[in-house]
Parts: sequence; structure tokens; C-alpha cells
Amino acid sequence: MKHSFILFNIIAAFLFTSCDKFLDIQPTGKVIARTGEEYRALLTGVYANFPDDRSLTTLRTDEVYLDKATITAEDYNTYFDIWVWNDAAPSENTATYSWRRFYHTIYIASYIIEKESEIEEASPADVSQLVGEAYMLRAYSYSILVNLFGKPYTKGNPSTDAGVPLLVKPDVETVLERSTVEQVYQQILYDIDMAKKKLNVDKWENDLNYRFNKISADALMARVCLYMGRWQESLDAAKAVIEAYPELEDITPSTGYTLPDNHNSKEAIVCLERVMKSEYKGIGYPDKNFITSIVTGDLRKNRFFKAKTSAVYDLLKGGTDDTRSTFRSAEFYLTAAEAAARLGDLNGAIDNYMTPMINNRYLAARRTPTINAMKAMTQDQLIDAILEDRRAELCFEGHRWFDLRRTIQQSITKKYGDDETYVLEEGDSRYTMLIPKEAISANPLLSQE
Amino acid sequence: MKRLLFFLLSSLLSLGASAQASAQSVSDTLKAQGIAQEFELDNFVVTGYQKIDRRKMTGVSTTIKVDDETVGTILNVDHALEGQVPGLSSVTSTGAPGAPLKIRIRGISSINGNQDPLWVLDGIPLEGTEVPTMDDLKDIDNLYQTSIAGINPADIESITVLKDAAATAIYGARAANGVIVITTKKGKAGAPKINFHTKLTLSPNMGLDRLNLLNSDEKVNLELALLRSDYTFRENKGDVARIIANLGETAAYKAGGWSALSANAQNQINALRNINTDWNDILMRNAFTQDYGVSISGGGNKATYYVSVGYSDQQGNVQGVSADRFNTTMKTSIRINEMLKVGASLFVNQRKQKSFMTDYNGFVNPVYYSRLANPYFQPYKEDGTYNYDVNVQGGKEDSELDFNIFEERNNTSHKRKDRQVMAIFDAELQFTDWLKFTTQLGLQMDSYTIDKYAGEHSFAMRKDLERSIYSYSTGKAPFLPQTGGKHQVTEGHGSQWTWKGMLEGQRRFGDDHEVQLMLGSEIRHTDVNTVYTAAYGYDPRTLTSQTVFYPSENSAELFPLSRETQTENAFVSWFATGSYTFKDRYTLGGSIRFDGSDVFGVAKKYRYLPLYSVSGLWRIGDEPWMKRVKWVDAMNLRASYGIQGNIDKNTSPYLIGTYDKKTIFGKSEYIIEAETAPNPSLRWEKTRNVNVGMDFTLFDGFLTLGVDYYYRRSSDLIGLKMLPLETGFSSTTINWATMQNKGWEFAVSTRNFWRKNFHWTTQLNFGINNNKVLRETIADNATYPSREGYPVGALFALETAGLNEYGDPLFSNNNGEVVTLKELMKLNENGRSTLTAEEQRALFKYMGTTDPKVSGGFINTFEYKNWTLGINFTFNFGMKVRVTPSYRNTQYDRGLNTNHDILNSWSTENTSGTLPALMHFDSKPAATATDAEKNRYAEYVQYEEFNLYNYLDTWVRNCNYFRLQSLRLGYKFDMPWMKRIGVLNATVSVEARNLFVIASNYDNYLDPETMGNPFAQPIPREFIFGINLGF
Repeated sequence: MKHSFILFNIIAAFLFTSCDKFLDIQPTGKVIARTGEEYRALLTGVYANFPDDRSLTTLRTDEVYLDKATITAEDYNTYFDIWVWNDAAPSENTATYSWRRFYHTIYIASYIIEKESEIEEASPADVSQLVGEAYMLRAYSYSILVNLFGKPYTKGNPSTDAGVPLLVKPDVETVLERSTVEQVYQQILYDIDMAKKKLNVDKWENDLNYRFNKISADALMARVCLYMGRWQESLDAAKAVIEAYPELEDITPSTGYTLPDNHNSKEAIVCLERVMKSEYKGIGYPDKNFITSIVTGDLRKNRFFKAKTSAVYDLLKGGTDDTRSTFRSAEFYLTAAEAAARLGDLNGAIDNYMTPMINNRYLAARRTPTINAMKAMTQDQLIDAILEDRRAELCFEGHRWFDLRRTIQQSITKKYGDDETYVLEEGDSRYTMLIPKEAISANPLLSQE
Repeated sequence: MKRLLFFLLSSLLSLGASAQASAQSVSDTLKAQGIAQEFELDNFVVTGYQKIDRRKMTGVSTTIKVDDETVGTILNVDHALEGQVPGLSSVTSTGAPGAPLKIRIRGISSINGNQDPLWVLDGIPLEGTEVPTMDDLKDIDNLYQTSIAGINPADIESITVLKDAAATAIYGARAANGVIVITTKKGKAGAPKINFHTKLTLSPNMGLDRLNLLNSDEKVNLELALLRSDYTFRENKGDVARIIANLGETAAYKAGGWSALSANAQNQINALRNINTDWNDILMRNAFTQDYGVSISGGGNKATYYVSVGYSDQQGNVQGVSADRFNTTMKTSIRINEMLKVGASLFVNQRKQKSFMTDYNGFVNPVYYSRLANPYFQPYKEDGTYNYDVNVQGGKEDSELDFNIFEERNNTSHKRKDRQVMAIFDAELQFTDWLKFTTQLGLQMDSYTIDKYAGEHSFAMRKDLERSIYSYSTGKAPFLPQTGGKHQVTEGHGSQWTWKGMLEGQRRFGDDHEVQLMLGSEIRHTDVNTVYTAAYGYDPRTLTSQTVFYPSENSAELFPLSRETQTENAFVSWFATGSYTFKDRYTLGGSIRFDGSDVFGVAKKYRYLPLYSVSGLWRIGDEPWMKRVKWVDAMNLRASYGIQGNIDKNTSPYLIGTYDKKTIFGKSEYIIEAETAPNPSLRWEKTRNVNVGMDFTLFDGFLTLGVDYYYRRSSDLIGLKMLPLETGFSSTTINWATMQNKGWEFAVSTRNFWRKNFHWTTQLNFGINNNKVLRETIADNATYPSREGYPVGALFALETAGLNEYGDPLFSNNNGEVVTLKELMKLNENGRSTLTAEEQRALFKYMGTTDPKVSGGFINTFEYKNWTLGINFTFNFGMKVRVTPSYRNTQYDRGLNTNHDILNSWSTENTSGTLPALMHFDSKPAATATDAEKNRYAEYVQYEEFNLYNYLDTWVRNCNYFRLQSLRLGYKFDMPWMKRIGVLNATVSVEARNLFVIASNYDNYLDPETMGNPFAQPIPREFIFGINLGF
């Protein structure tokens, strides 16, 4: 009998010590990321779901025209109020910006950054690249958020203007206030800097080039500094990008080119966002005034658009699974040209950056006259010409709205049908968008100011 | 497994032989032991861990004896509980054979977690007992089996339902929904006893008259009227419109009416009036069910055995629906020596179910189709080939896919096969007369195969082909193979093992003090996996299939070829119970349990949280001063307080992702989507219980009365909490919600008449439950109200106030004014509400709850000489149900039949109609249109797109019913000659189940219980003839 007692005690003691191990079960199908491969899959998850909001801003620009006669009721309900900048009281079904999805990307990126030292079964180089991409995703997400919802860095006072909340730690229990525009930009610059140290893949294969590569840190640097008005830094970074990706797509022959917003184009650096998805393409038409503003002889008019009737054009960019564009080389030629021009190096801007652009975009006969005309311009005129070129080159790729914001914030007039006219005044406060209502209602510390 | 079976069989057989040999010598002790066993059932409560002397039981429980006299004829164990246990409500979701009951004990105590009670078989908790909510089509159409369905009711001795904390706290984290303990029969020492039973059941065809469907004449008139009206939705549907259109007379008819039609058209239309296809006869049938069982039991003083075999074959009233079950059970118990006793039981069963194949919007469901099929439609042409019902809407708007219910039945199949093995081994080591160690090992293995087949010539396949149409550069074509059918197979396997060991001591000190103590530990491991595979272009003759070439990632997701899930969980627990009894009158009890589980990941701080109870019992009736009160035989006062737990398996303290595959540019990659916010402070759901109860036995046993009051507050319920979006998540599930259940339970039984040859007893038991959600959050953009302050089954609706001059519903707003929908919801011209989500929520009014407030049973038993008459009623009161609207005002499809409500809809011809008018707009009215027209358009859009019509209070019905569950007459043969040929007992019985139901208005529905679900099979009426023979 005593033996039985002892036996029972032994069994009990054994159970107490071993049951924690018994309870540690790795679920299948579900996973808590541990290995390099699992962290990569986690990152691919946020890449695959990265918001295409940059293309939604296209609706706010002067690039798109909504046709009262042909718009569907659903598109009208979803997009009309965005098109006419009715931010204050949009109809209930209006498309909303992917505020949460950006922050989800930021959460996962921060999670990966925090777990850098815990990633198992991966080479140090792979871990470093992975974390570098996480920094890039975070920086890139903030660069879009602050330009959607914060005042432009170059207008107003960045050190007091409200930016967006800064989540840098993966913590679901935090409640954040809006940081200033300056703070957000500092975070972006810090993340780019970290990314630059970590990234080590020079070039991804075409079927993986949605991922950030080594040069993309400079690419984002060039764009962010351009938005900040830091011309020299922008120029330096853009130069580095051009050095790594000098090739431009020659669209002047009638066939044999790939449209530059395609991820197979030689201009492709990072192709993450579907900058003009097919559902967006169907909402309206390219604005006729915009197309007529592109000079004859500039073949972008023929390659990016196709006349449907004398008044209506179809957009040829975008709309397929292959068309994604985040960074491509032409942007950096134009960024370098603008920065150089702003710094006073007019000839450098024309010879080094605008000439290659013109050679790959204009009819042969129109190239020299165009270059010569530029040579005759004052600095302001040249900057305007470069911006006009930028508008034509990067149209429908989500750049226009941000470019409008950081430059003169010009007045835009939109006509809907014959009797409705909507105007965005020069420097209108609606050049900065309101934080989505659902975000405000979910966080008591958030406000529109 | 086979070896194990063989071993058990051979050992049982040898035992049987030895038992028989020793039977003669112990025949004297036989009777005594038989009586002892009866005594045991009545005087002990089996909790699954212990057998507690009823006189010391501080908790609340109800034990029912599972025999024909008590519960009538049942084929599934859960039906034994209907109307028998106060505080237990059961609702039938569908009358399909083998369908599980939704059982709730003392209300609902979890919002997102499991709400089903824990089932325990001979001490081993069963896995796989969850019942799906059965609210939607998917659940109804899936063949569903819980693991309890495998148990043969003939093998069951009794069922004990444990209700309050004192009774259930020993089950710790699984106790919150109550515990149902099944005790199976076992062998008794003595000569082998053979028992045979058969039950033959006839369920007559139900008859669809209650549905009030339109007959051919009415339907034709309706179609004729609609074609001339401004209601143009699906204008070309219906045979009338088709006949007129084929003759090119549509315009003429619209302008001139009936008289403008040619004689040919009139004749063709009138011909329709004369066809009245009886869908009831075609789709339903008289069903016949058989149930047979043989058991052999017996044993000697060293060993006992019980072996049984059972077979039942159940037909459904719906053609082609059936279920069968084959069981064998083997149990043995062996006394090895003075100290050691071991036992083994094996339960093996196989179940097969057959049903109809269904599609995703339910037309193929015969119950649903019988309501939609036009009475003038004939399923066969004169030459015997199929007539296709093109009025049935296919996959896409206005498509006309060929559908014929007979073709469908012939060319599709849907089968489910379950196999179950449960084995329980136990050992008891009696150290001294006051101390023993018991241990038990339980194994449960369930596996099932669901097999769905649709042939090439079936609507199901045509629909899939249509859904798979893809725009290739060469034109539109389906990507699924265009010949052959489809074959979908789901295989599921579940297994668990549970081990427990307990040390139990019970000792009396002196005359007055008695102490009982038990310590134990339990470990449990469960493993569930499912594999789904699909083959397209399938040929059942050659068993071959064709390759599917998916044009895109999305297409592959639409028709997946395989899917797999796996879940593994482990649990470790320690527990203790104890009680102290003073002078046999005062008992104090307590129990505590620590549960650990991997469900909470590695968050060790929340493992092993204790759940406990304390309780007391005062046997007032045994007090010396009460002895003087002669009319009181017994009187007890019980009180308990304690905590029960519940687990939610879907949240985690860690960032958990799910694997998926995605293609961004041509290359398929693994992705992990981590869309569920981690919850670092996850805990058990807890239910605090207070219970106070009294039991009386009065007037020499004439009246027995039990009353209990309970208050249960469930807190830390897993609920949704909204997060600031800047966290990257919109919500997380946290231990947030709170809910309470309060209620009374009564069990009254009276011995109305007790003479030598005539006994009459009455039993009334019922529970009153009030449930209230105390705290809950809902999404900010939710337009349907939160249940906070209301029962968990709360129904909300918009209060209507008649119709306006166009026949559209008017509403009574919160200020009591009568307003139009446009005014109520402040619709803009596009039919969108300009109210905030919160304001929209405030428009709804609380209508009631979907859970019964009062439920119970009323049972009368008469015994006259050898005759027994049992009359069992069950009832549920105080429920509301939201029914599917008889027709939708913006989407009534004239190609389908409906009930008479449509004839009561308002129209310019029928201005006395009280139900909403039909309305339809093809496009937004022009700017020049009248305001009335524009307003009506706005309302139309709101009804059309937002499902608002379903929320009208018109569609909320009372649901109260009182059902004659069983009326049974039995006769026990008692002839002297029977003994001589070895017959110990013989009983024949006739029983009628569900003979009638008295209910609040359930017009247009077959049964009040299944009113909310138009897809559910009707609850059958059954007539049963039974024979029971014992040798």
C-alpha cells in the first residue's frame, strides 16, 4: 500500500514537471513566425496587400474626368465625392483611404524590425535584407500617409503642423496622438538610413521586383527630399539611382517597347503598387485638357493614350496584373533635373537629365527644337517645363497629387455634365485630406487639427 | 485497432463462459444485487468523477432513467432530454434524421465561445459534440453529426444533468455550459440475460397545406396582373409571360389586358390553370424507420459483462434522405482480488447518412424547392423526358439554367459515413475500506467521410460551369472541364485520449462526523484534421477526372482542389473535492480545479487559473424538531457559489498568422497573413454562479417539489473590442463582454392516484431564464443595434405603421410619429441614409429574444394492471423568431411560387392589401420627375441594396408552443407459461410522437420550431410499434 502511495507521488511529480512541455504544441496551418522563411512570408503578406491609395489620389487631380452620361451608379457613389474634393460630407459609400492597412504594414514591419535578432534558420545576409525591406516598407508607408493627411513639408510649418501618428513598436495596446510633420519626416529619414545599411540585394528577378532592393533606399531618399525641398540631397540620391538604373524605355518606335509602368520594363526599380488598377481605369476618362496640353511630337500622347473619339481618350497605362510601379528610372531623371534646375544648374539639368528623357520620348524631329527651347528658358521657366514633363511622364502613376501639393497648389476646376462645376482654389485647405472618420472614431486622441 | 478489438472480444467471450459457469451458484445473491443496483441509481448521483450519495449532494442535478416508459422511443441520446430536465432547453433545428438538438442549460453563457454543454460518457468527456448554429443554409445542408449520435440509446442506463457550480466546478474550464453525464448499462451478476427489442416507426407524409402556397389558378392570375403592372422586376419570368412573349403579344396585353390576347394565348394560359402538380407527393413521402437491438448481460461474482448489438435505419420524410446506425457495445468488469477491480468498455459504431446535394442558394433543397416550384409546372414531358424548370434562377442574374429536381436527384448524391470507436479502461484499487485509488483511460476515435457527387447532367454542375466562365482572349469559356461531373470528398479524423487518476478517501469519525476527500489529475490530448479534395470532369464509371487549367489565382480560389486543416490541443488539470457532513444533516462541500491548456499558447501566467466552488446542504427534514411535522417527509435546503470556465480557441497572446499562397507576378509564393491582433492578456471565460434551492417530499410521498433559483454572471467573455486603427488592427477579441442569466427551476411531481392496480403520476418541470448582455461592443459602423442591455438572442426590428398611398411601409419613429422610410432614415436621392451609424442603430426597436424564456415538460403516467400510458408534453414559451419575408417588395421573382401573403400586398387593384406593395425601378428617375417618384426611388434603393425589408417588424413572429411529444401505451405480458419457455418479460407498445402542437400563429410554416429556417426539413410525426423481450 505504501508503495502505491509512493508510485502515485512519483507519477504526480512527473506530471507537474513535464506537462508544460506537453502543452507546448505548434499549431499547423497557423504559425507564429520563427524562421527566415516564415518572416519572409509574413513580409510577402504585407507586400501582397499593400494599399494602392497613391492611385486613388489620381481622382483628386486634373488628370481624370468623370462623365455624367456614362458613369455607373456604383462608381458615382464610390468615387464622385473624392473627385470633387467633398471631404467634409461625402456620401456614405465613398471609397476610403486605407489608413488601417498602412498601419498594418507598419505594424508588421516594426514587428520584423523588433524580432531581427530572433529570426532563425536564415543567413545573416538574408536577415539583414529582410529587415532592410521592413524599414523601407515603414518609411514608404509613412511617406504616403504624411502626404495624404499632413500639410506639405514645403508649405506651412512642419515642426508644428499635424502629421500622422507614429507607430514604431508593434504594440496593440498603444493609443497614439498625431506627431508633427517634421517628426514623421525625421522617422522616414531614419528608416531610410537604416534600410540603406541593411539592404544588400542589388536587383530582384522580374517576378520578384515588387520587393525593395538596395538602390530603392536612394530612390525613396530622392523623392522624400524633393518633397522636403532639400534639393542637393535629392539630387545626390537621384544621381545614385540613375547610375544604378540608367536605362530608359525608348517609346519612340511604333512597336517593340514596353510601357514604363510595366514591371518588365527596363525602367522598373520597384514595382509594388498597382498605380492604375482596372477598376479605377473604368471610373472615368483621361482629362481632355491635360492630353491636349501635351505637345504634338511628344509621343507620350500616342503611347500612353488612345483616341476613342475626337473628345474622348482611353488610357493605355495600367489596368493589368503586370502594371505596377513604385520607383522607375524616369522619375529620377526628372527629379534630378528639377533639383539641379532649382539649384541653378540649368545646363546640367538639361544636358544630363532632360536630354535623355526627350530622346526617348519625342519624335526625332522634335528633339533638338525642344532642347533648344529649354536652353533659352529662365530658371523658373525651365522648372515649369520640367514639371510639365514630369506631369506627362508620370501621369496616372500616383505622382500628380503629391506634386501639386508641394508646388504651387494650383486652382483646379472640374465640370460634371453641363450644369455642375466644382473648384479647388489655389492653396485650398483640401490639398491636405482629412483623416478617415473611422480612424477618428476609433481613437479619442486623434483630431483633424 | 483490430488487434485491440480481437483481444477484447476474445476476453469478453471467455468471461461470458466463466460467468455462466458460476451463475448457478450465485443465483441467490442475484436478486439482492439487482435491488442494490436500482437503489444505487436512485440514491447516488454520478458526476463522472465520483458517485455521490444523494443525501450529501450539495449541487444541483437531474437524473433521468433512459427507458421507454420515461422518455419514449428515441433514436438519438439527446432526444432523451427533451422536456425532462428543468432548466434545460432544447430546440430542433431541422427534422432531418440524425440531426442534433440545440441544447442549452440555464441559458447561454458565452458570446463567441462554445455554448454547448459538455457530454461525458462513463466518466470520459467526449469530443466533437458541438452543434453548429443551424441558422443558415450552409449548416442545414451539410450533413452534420455530433459524436453523441453514435451512442445507442438502448445501451444507456441513465443520464445526469449537472447544472450549478457545485456540481460542475470539477469540470473546470469546460463547465460553463453545464455537463451531461451518460451512464451506460452494465452486466449484473447472474444468469445471462438476453434482451431483444424492435421498434418500427411510420412517419406519414407531412402535407404542405400549412404553407398556404398559391395554386395554379391563383399563380396564373398573379402573373397576369403583374405583367400589366409597373413592377417590371424579372418581367420575362414565369410561364404566363413566356407564353405571351413567344406569341409576340406582350405589348398588346399590356395595353389591352386579357381580352387583347389571341385565343391561342388564352388557351395556353388557361391550360396552365388546369395543371396542379402536387409537389408534396413528389418530394415528400411516408417514411419508415426500423430499430433493432439485442443485448446479453450477466456475470459471476468475479466478473460481469454486457454486450449489445443495435441497428437502426431511419428514413426522412423528404425523398432520398435517410440515416442508419450500427452499434456494438462491450463492457466488462473484473474483480482481480480484494483490492483491485478493473473494467473495460468498447463502443463501436458506424453511421451512414444520405441527403440531397445542394447548391449555394438552396434551390436544389427539396424542402425549399417545394415552396418555389410553380404548381403549373410538370417535371416530366409526356414522353418521360425531363421538363426543365427555367424559372429557377441560376448563378447569374437572369440566366436560365436547366433545372429538374428529378434529374438532380438521379444525377447527384450526398453521403456521409461516420465511424467511431470509444474505449474506456478503468481500474480501482481499494487500499482500505476508506481509501481508494481509481484511474481511467479513455480513447475516442472518430472519422467521417462526406462524399458529394454531381454528374454532368445536373443543375449543380451547370451552375458551377457558369460560375467558372472566364474572359479568355479568345472569348468567354468556362475553365472547368466541360464534360463530366464533380466529386468532392471531405475526410475528417478526430481523436482524443484522456487519462485521469484520483485518490479518494471517505471516513466517518465517531457518530457525527463524516469527511470525504478526493484529489486527482487529468491529462487530455485531442487531434482533429480534415482533408478536402475535389475532382472535376469526373466520371463515376471510370473513376477518372480531368485536369483543371485555372486562368488566374482568383479562379483557383473559387474552385479549390484541396484544402486541409489540422488542430491539436493538450490539456492538463488537477482537481480536488471535499465535503464534511455533521450529524448526517449538515454538509459543507467544496471543489477546486486548475486547468492548463496549450490553447493559451505559452502565456504561462494564465495557465492553471483555479476554478472553484463552495456549497452547503441542510437536511431540514431530518432535524428532530421537524420530525413532529408529519406531512413533511423530507426537506432540504441547498446553496452553492462557484466559478465555471469556458475556452475560446480562436484567440492568442501571440501574433499568429495563417498561411496562404499569392501570386504577384507569375510566381506563386507563400504568404502569412497576420490579421488577428494578438491579445497578451487572454484569460478563460468565467461564469460566477449562485444557486439556492429547496427540495420537499410531502404528504407521504404524494408531492415532490424542487425549486432552484440561480444567478449566473459570465464575465471575461471573449468579445470584440475596437482598437485605434493606428495599431494596424481594427479590432481584437479580448476578455471583455459580460452577460447574466437569472432564473428559476421547478420540478413538481405528484402521485395523484396510487391504488393496487392503478397508478397515476404527474410531473411538471420547467425553467424560467432571463438572459441579459451587460457589456458588449460592436463595430462603430454597425447599423444594427448592440445587444447591451438585452438578451444575447435579441431581435431588433423597425416598427411599421401601415402603408402609405403607394402601398409602401410607414414607420413609427422614436417620437411616435408616423413617417416614411425616407423620412425615418433621412435618405438622400440615391437611397443612402445620411444618418450616422449610431443614429441608424437607434431606429430599431427591441422585439424579443430568440431563446425560450420558459421551457419544460409536462408528463403524465398511468399504470393499470399491465398497461402503462405515458403522455409527455414539451413546451417552449417566450421566443421570437424572424422569418424570411413571404416575398420581398423589390425582388419578388414572379417565376417562383410563394404563399398567399402576396395576394394581400397593396396594389392599385387591391388597395385593401395590408402588406407592402411591389416596387421596381430600372433607373433613377429623371430630374424632372415628381418628388414622390424620387422619394420612392430612394426607398427602393434602400430596400433593394440593404436588406432592410427583412428588418420590418412584420417578419418577427411570436414563437410559443406546447407539443405532445410522446403518447405511449404499453402492455406487459405476464402469462404463467412464459416463464416455462424462458421468457422473463415481454412488452409491446404503441407510441405516437409529435402528434400535435399547440402554438402561437405559425401560418405559412410547417412547424413553429423550424419557422425561422425555410430550408429545414419538417419535424416528422411518428407512429411507433415496439416489442421488448427478455430471456
